[in-house]
Parts: sequence; structure tokens; C-alpha cells
Amino acid sequence: MEKNFQFELVTPERVVLREQLTSLTLPTVNGEITILPGHVPLVSVLKPGVMIALQVKGEQRVIAVSGGFVEVLEFKVVVLADTAEMASELDEERIKVAQAKAEFLKQSAANHDDLNFADVSALLDKELARLSAVKYWRRLKK
Amino acid sequence: MAKTSDIGRRIKSVNNIKKITKAMEMVAAAKMRRAVEAVLKTRTYANLSWETVLNLARQSAESQEPLHPLLVKRPIVKRVAVVIIASNRGLCGGFNSSLLNKVRQSIKKHETGEIDTVQTEFIILGKKSEVVARWGYEIAAQFPKYDVAGGVGDILPAARLLKEKFLSGYYDKIMVAYNDFISAAKQVPRVRQLLPVEIDTKDEFLGVVGKNPKLETKKDFIAEKSKAHLSDNGYRYEYLFEPNRAEVLNKMLPRLIEVQLYQSLLESDASEHSARMSTMHQAQTAAGDMVSELTLFYNKARQAGITAEIAEISAGTNEVD
Repeated sequence: MEKNFQFELVTPERVVLREQLTSLTLPTVNGEITILPGHVPLVSVLKPGVMIALQVKGEQRVIAVSGGFVEVLEFKVVVLADTAEMASELDEERIKVAQAKAEFLKQSAANHDDLNFADVSALLDKELARLSAVKYWRRLKK
Repeated sequence: MAKTSDIGRRIKSVNNIKKITKAMEMVAAAKMRRAVEAVLKTRTYANLSWETVLNLARQSAESQEPLHPLLVKRPIVKRVAVVIIASNRGLCGGFNSSLLNKVRQSIKKHETGEIDTVQTEFIILGKKSEVVARWGYEIAAQFPKYDVAGGVGDILPAARLLKEKFLSGYYDKIMVAYNDFISAAKQVPRVRQLLPVEIDTKDEFLGVVGKNPKLETKKDFIAEKSKAHLSDNGYRYEYLFEPNRAEVLNKMLPRLIEVQLYQSLLESDASEHSARMSTMHQAQTAAGDMVSELTLFYNKARQAGITAEIAEISAGTNEVD
């Protein structure tokens, strides 16, 4: 059986990753799943969270995603993410500021309209996902 | 022979035209750079997501029960919606006219299809596509179009309208007509089917993603690429859907359709500005040629005047002698 699979992570902005992996852990709306080579074809919806990709060399890549879709094919996994950032590119301080702002907006939007509220909580989820990606990345590095 | 002052005036006005076209070229070039950047950024996403949609459509076509209403081909097509993405302003060469010609050919084709009662309605973006009203067709909706697209939000209202009217059974087929950006020098008008998603329709790909710039303009390459994708690669995907099929597809398909529509808009934008840039460049060259031609006339007229004057003077002196 194949030991690895082709992985493509794209967002509307750019191609974030395109490489061979041995395993991939994803946050889907049903909970976290891990994909290994030879996984059954699957289509699922992602929620904001941390994605962990295990490279062929054994190194881990930590990626923050803010939702999207995953398509698992025979020898290929495609993730169509709304946004995705590598944890190594993220800046913890900046995220904390953004998160605090989102939290504040959420509180002020809560007693206004629903649409605004949904937007803001999506924003907050996104920042939380980034933060946990960075934290995981830090732990990994130590 | 025209008077020298008349020719002089014309030279001046042609020179002004030259300056104006040069300014317009530079504006178009700046807009083009932005538009091309935007189109290239999203192309991979759009193409990959379209592959996903096609894979789903293939499974849907092969299984007993269709996966999702957006993937089902209607047995009888009564009403077709054509979305035209054109420009707001002219002075961009054959950009709009070649697109509209292509649309005309395409609707002729489907109107003379199996049954002759196919109705066509238009949904238009860009002022220059308003001419379809003169062909005697209904314009169902007109959406505003900006010079350089700002984000997916630009086409969301159009996408929602199309999805709703398709699902309610009002439209049986939805086509999108736009100019596909291949390179700064080449844009191809294209009419493609958006809904229902069918696996056996040709011309699926938006632009060409190629590392080799030479390949980008080759027709064979595009044909090869779509053939390679459409050919049955032997795999049968029986997808699992998590949490469940309806939920996944209801979320996924509309989003991916939006992405396709947005990508068409970006392709059109990039094409428009490149077309305008090259047209303005040509106008500038033509104005330059005209100026040199007029200058020649001007000099000839001036010389003729001098010769005539000298002839008069010498005739006068001859008289006196």
C-alpha cells in the first residue's frame, strides 16, 4: 500500500501547500479526523481550527484554517479553505490583539442584529484557531 | 491642395489624440496589473474546486439517485438563463463585440435544439451588454459591475438569484459568457454551462494555469488539459459525506458555484483591461503614423506655397524687364 498521499491546500488567495504527506489531521464540523493513505473517498465541511500535516520526512506542519471543505480522493487530498496560515508565519501578539477586538465586537453586536453577530463570532473563531495553532506550534518547538 | 494652417490644425489635434490614448493606456495598464494579479491568485482554487464539483457530478450521474438538485440535468430544457459579463465602457477593441457574437451563436444553437420553444433570458453585468435587449430578448436582471472586482461580494446577489431560480425550476440551464484571460495579448470569448453541473460538457477550465508561458496561448494545451480531466481515469469515487450528504452538499455546491462565477468575473476584468491597453497602444501608434503623414503633407503644401510665390515674383520681374 502507498505510504503517503498528495496533499493540496488552497485558499482563494494562494496555494498554501502542495506536497506529499503521510498523515493529515483536520477539524471537521463533526470533530477532528485524521486521514491516512488509502482513506475512503470523503467529502466534508471544515470548521475553524488547527490542521496538522505530517510530512514524509517526519516533520509536522501546523496550519490554522477558518473553515472550508475537504475532498479525499484515492491518492490525493484537496482542502479548499476560506483562509489558511502556517503557524510558523503567525504572530502571537497580533492575534491576541485581533482576538480582543473580536471579543469586544461580539459583545457589542450581541444585542444588535443577528447577521452582524454571526460575522463577528466567525471572526472570533478564526482568531481562536490561529491562536491555538501558534500555541501548538510553540509546544512542538520546545 | 489644402491650406497649411488647416493641416497644421489637424496635426495638433491628432497629437492630442495621441497624448490622450497614451494616458488611457497607462490607466488601463495599472488596472490590468491589479486585475491579472487577482485572477491568477484565485485560479488554482477555482480550478480545484471545479474538479471537486465535477467529481461529485460524475458520481451523481452514475448512481441511482442524484446527489443534489444542482447536479441533475433536466430532460426538457424550456428556459435558459445566460449571464453576460461585459464591460461598462468601450474603447477596448473587440472585447464586447466578440463576446456578444459568441453569445449569439450559442443561443442560436440551443434555440434550434430538440424542441423549438427554448426561451432565453439574460442576466447582465456591465453596461455594454445592454444591447441584447435590441435583439428582442428579455433581460431578467442587471447587476452593477465595478471596474476592478473587489471581492466575492460583488457577485453574491447574482449567484443567489441564479441558484434560487434554478432550484425553483424557473430556469433549466444557466450559461455564463465572459472573456477568458489567456495572456495580455490574448483573450478568448467563452460561453460555458454553469448549472446544472454536467460532466460531459466541454470547455470546463477557467484560463490556463501553466508554468510555461508559451503553453498558455496554445489551444491544444487547453484542449488537452480538459480532455485529460474529463477522461475516465478508472477511479470510481463513492464518496462518504460527513456529517451527511445533504448538509455537506447544500453548503459546498452553492459556495463553489459562487467561486466559479466570481472567477469568470475576474477573468473578464483582466481581459477587459488588457484588451483596452492593447487597443489604446494601437491607437497611439496609428496616431503617430497619421502625424508623420500629415507632416509630410504640411511640408509639401508649404513648399508649394513658396514655389508659387517665387514663380509670381520672377514673373513680376520678367514683366518689369
